[in-house]
Amino acid sequence: MAPTFYHDDPKWSNIKPIPQNDTARPLAAIAYTDEYSEAMSYLRAVMAKNEYSHRVLGLTDHIISMNPAHYTIWLYRFKVLSELHADLREEIAWLNVTALKHLKNYQIWHHRQTVIDKLGSPEGEADFIATMLQQDTKNYHVWSYRQFLVQRFGLFDDEGELKWTEGMIEEDVRNNSAWNHRYFLVFGGKGEQTADKAIVERELNYAKAAIKKAPQNQSSWNYLRGVVRRNKLPTSTLKDFALEFADIEKPDDVTSSYALDTLADIYTEYQSKREEAKKALDLLATRYDPVRAHYWNYRKRLLE
Amino acid sequence: MAGQTSVPAPSSRLQEIVSDSNRIEELSDTDNEYADEYEDVGTVVDQHEAANMAYINSMISPIRDSLETETSITQDETLAVVLPFLEGNPNDFLLNTFGLPKLQREKHAAFLHQALGDYPAQMAAMDAARPWLVYWSLQGLTALGYDISDMRDRIVETFLPSQHPDGGYGGGHGQLPHLAATYAAVLSLVMAGGTTAYESVNRKSMWHYLGRMKQVDGGFTMAPGGEEDIRGAFCALVVMSLLNIPLDLPPDAPARAHGMTTFLDKLGEWVSRCQTFEGGISAAPGNEAHGAYAFCGLGCLSIMGPPTETLNKYFDMPLLLHWLSSRQCSPEGGYNGRTNKLVDGCYSHWVGSCWPLVEAAVGKEVSNRSALARYILSAAQHKKGGLIDKPGKRADAYHTCYNLAGLSAAQHKNVYDEATAPDIGKSELGAPFGWKVDGLFEGERVWGDEDFVEEVHPIFVIPYQAAEDCRRYFEAKEGF
Ligand SMILES: [Zn+2]
Repeated sequence: MAPTFYHDDPKWSNIKPIPQNDTARPLAAIAYTDEYSEAMSYLRAVMAKNEYSHRVLGLTDHIISMNPAHYTIWLYRFKVLSELHADLREEIAWLNVTALKHLKNYQIWHHRQTVIDKLGSPEGEADFIATMLQQDTKNYHVWSYRQFLVQRFGLFDDEGELKWTEGMIEEDVRNNSAWNHRYFLVFGGKGEQTADKAIVERELNYAKAAIKKAPQNQSSWNYLRGVVRRNKLPTSTLKDFALEFADIEKPDDVTSSYALDTLADIYTEYQSKREEAKKALDLLATRYDPVRAHYWNYRKRLLE
Repeated sequence: MAGQTSVPAPSSRLQEIVSDSNRIEELSDTDNEYADEYEDVGTVVDQHEAANMAYINSMISPIRDSLETETSITQDETLAVVLPFLEGNPNDFLLNTFGLPKLQREKHAAFLHQALGDYPAQMAAMDAARPWLVYWSLQGLTALGYDISDMRDRIVETFLPSQHPDGGYGGGHGQLPHLAATYAAVLSLVMAGGTTAYESVNRKSMWHYLGRMKQVDGGFTMAPGGEEDIRGAFCALVVMSLLNIPLDLPPDAPARAHGMTTFLDKLGEWVSRCQTFEGGISAAPGNEAHGAYAFCGLGCLSIMGPPTETLNKYFDMPLLLHWLSSRQCSPEGGYNGRTNKLVDGCYSHWVGSCWPLVEAAVGKEVSNRSALARYILSAAQHKKGGLIDKPGKRADAYHTCYNLAGLSAAQHKNVYDEATAPDIGKSELGAPFGWKVDGLFEGERVWGDEDFVEEVHPIFVIPYQAAEDCRRYFEAKEGF
């Protein structure tokens, strides 16, 4: 594609570009192409006079195509869209194409968030996100954006959203982002409010079933422990379950270090079980999780 | 910080590990500078290799699930790439007395000097991140023990055009002010030091800019109309503490209309809401716990007051400790940023440097510093200089800076000294100046005397002296 210039474009003849005024020997200077450099000079000029117009919208398109990581352009673009009362559906359609070209870009997600927020409808967003997550199942920005949608449009108790999240966990039971999203869906909208007993039960069973598939998976254990803690159940609720994977009486047969960790916490809750707690922590420090020996020993010292 | 950088989001790396042909190219790169030496010490090398393998075996957990998923597959592939570097010495580096590669000081310094130089047009994507490139490189150089004072004037000049007329710094001339750029610019200027550098910052307009970033829920946005996340809270407080910016919100701060009067209003509560059910800290309430955001959260609270008080007040510390220690990958020894993610050298700092702050609050040493240092020396040094995410990756200033900061935090004992803190002058956010280095780490050492990195301030991530000089300068100054 031939480079685009503005200096000989009559539509831009009333703009006096402002060139980048770097000093003589700047550090980490970039040898911009003439095209990028000129476009930025025109941008500085229109920003200086707060111009919000269709030609500026086109200018931001152009610069984004050369450097999508330019937060200034995105922020200014949104202002232009707002001032022009532009069709935000069109903007989303444009973003869908642009996002796929720049998968790793952060700014694009914040821009999308502000546009959808203003548009006031999450229609089509779930599908788009699903496409993006197919490329990168743990992308932090995509998941954070999904949490924004849930919050903004009150999808906490949405069946479809929960089903979709389950599908993501089904695909990879170790995808921690999916577990975090599930927790957000189930408990994130409740604040301090207590959850229904049936829901707590459902979540405990869900996490337990996942642990049975892969006992040495910290995501599902963290979830299980999180549900117990959030709902103020005693850790000992999990004793029988944890014993299925670890028993200090059978130190050779531990199939989950997280079960051992859970048992250590349970025994710690009882003054009379201090020795058992120490034994569990010893097994972790010396055998089942030696890289964290300092941490397990620290926990042991707390018992003394 | 996962900010305005070209660093890919951690998860997108999965793909690269598997498919990046650069990896093959770089790993098979065999221009062997130390070939002769290597042959001479061949038997010694074998002994070291045996010792390393024994160590690695002692760190591997014997439990392994049979169920395969995308996560376990990429994890296995990563380990296969990293392991040869932990056991042997594929880069043919000279070894220290512990049988691990020496810190390649000169090579890393040369890499960072180059990172401060000119970039070709294809690097236009870094146009908004130039303050970061400068900060990472300068911090890396000082960590390696290099004097940067000969660059002082250039540093000051570099940031003149990026200071916004309405306050704060952008990525460059004409760019909107952004807290990440502001953070990197201010730290660079503080490292440069001296009246010209200090006075180049317009503190009054900075105060107004920060006032516009303060949100009614207690947090900070990164830019006007930008995202609100925990980086904002941390970056704002770092800048305020170093420049001795008033704690009262400026009269034109929008948050004032909602009854707020100071920058700290509801801030502790907001940061507290970022702690997740896993115990770690997320970018914003509801998001997933993440190592880089954990450092921002802990740093922010440690600026608000002594960590002994603020961390215990706003965080569930036992849960945080549990999550933080879980970040150490086994057997790699380096850290990952989230549960079930891959080891990455930049978390040597983001997670590794959380430890001094957390240990100050709980009063105990809990982390495994030797395992981390092994990862940094063996697996995170690029053959040609600069440090990296993991073997097969290209070096960049970001990973160089943060691997070195993590190594420094492992080698030195950074302690919060209650006794020094109270007589710190008028600074309203004076707590970060209560830190000092109390000698060297006394546990199992894997670095030689020539592998030491300089002391790094645990919250500001610049040399201690640079922070101290800056504090004194602005404390002595009346008004803006
Ligand atoms: Zn990294």
